[in-house]
Amino acid sequence: MLFSLRELVQWLGFATFELFLHLLALLVFSMLVALRMDLFDAKLSWWLVFVPLFAADGLSTYFTAIVSIRLYQENEKRLAVLRLLWVLTVLSLKLVCEVLLCQKLVDQERARDLWFGLIVSPLFILLQLLMIRACRVN
Amino acid sequence: MSLAQRVLLTWVFTLVFLIMLVLKLDGKVQWNWFLIFLPVWIFDGILILMLAIKMAGHCKPGYDPRNGSPDLRLRTWYLTAMLLKLGFCLTLCAKLEKLADLKLTFVCIPLWTMLLGALVELGVNIFPERREA
Repeated sequence: MLFSLRELVQWLGFATFELFLHLLALLVFSMLVALRMDLFDAKLSWWLVFVPLFAADGLSTYFTAIVSIRLYQENEKRLAVLRLLWVLTVLSLKLVCEVLLCQKLVDQERARDLWFGLIVSPLFILLQLLMIRACRVN
Repeated sequence: MSLAQRVLLTWVFTLVFLIMLVLKLDGKVQWNWFLIFLPVWIFDGILILMLAIKMAGHCKPGYDPRNGSPDLRLRTWYLTAMLLKLGFCLTLCAKLEKLADLKLTFVCIPLWTMLLGALVELGVNIFPERREA
């Protein structure tokens, strides 16, 4: 659309399969959110609703670790370390945001001090990192 | 548009939308949800306009389809995806503003359709069709 798949892969630093995985996780997650809001209400825990997103993060970390090990074995050490560092940074920021949001939704009364600005702050950091990376890719 | 310009465009609209969303969710502003989604409307409007202009270019006499740009079918899918996203955002805003008593499942149907389409497109790229030599 605005970006070709090749540009997206270069910019975000994720392989096509990883993008597929995260998109699939988003689809399942949105279905679970709709199910929880419309049918199950309190019966379905928010932690369960967030499981697809956590699973996608875990699987993505696993694939990145494998790719980095392969790159390292093929003597592409710099590339392996850079890829691993970038993906781990992105995934950890995403995970922090997800965990904080889940915590807020689970216990809105007790998590009153946890304001949304704080929850979204990892995404703000991620946006800055993505902008810097875009300059490098460009 | 160069990659940097496209990235900057996406970045600015995402940042403004996130800031407005956070302000609304934290109760700092009492704006209408349709106003909060203003960056989304503008961004989607720009994208739809760009797509429509490119699609109109396909219909011009003397257009050479071999110049490497995505074909009309792909652009039609992009336009459909944009409209589905717009439909999702509009129904979500209507639900949040309590203008319509809709179930979230119905609100999410355009989003799911769009995500499924995107998954199919990505899947085709991951597992390209193997042609016999």
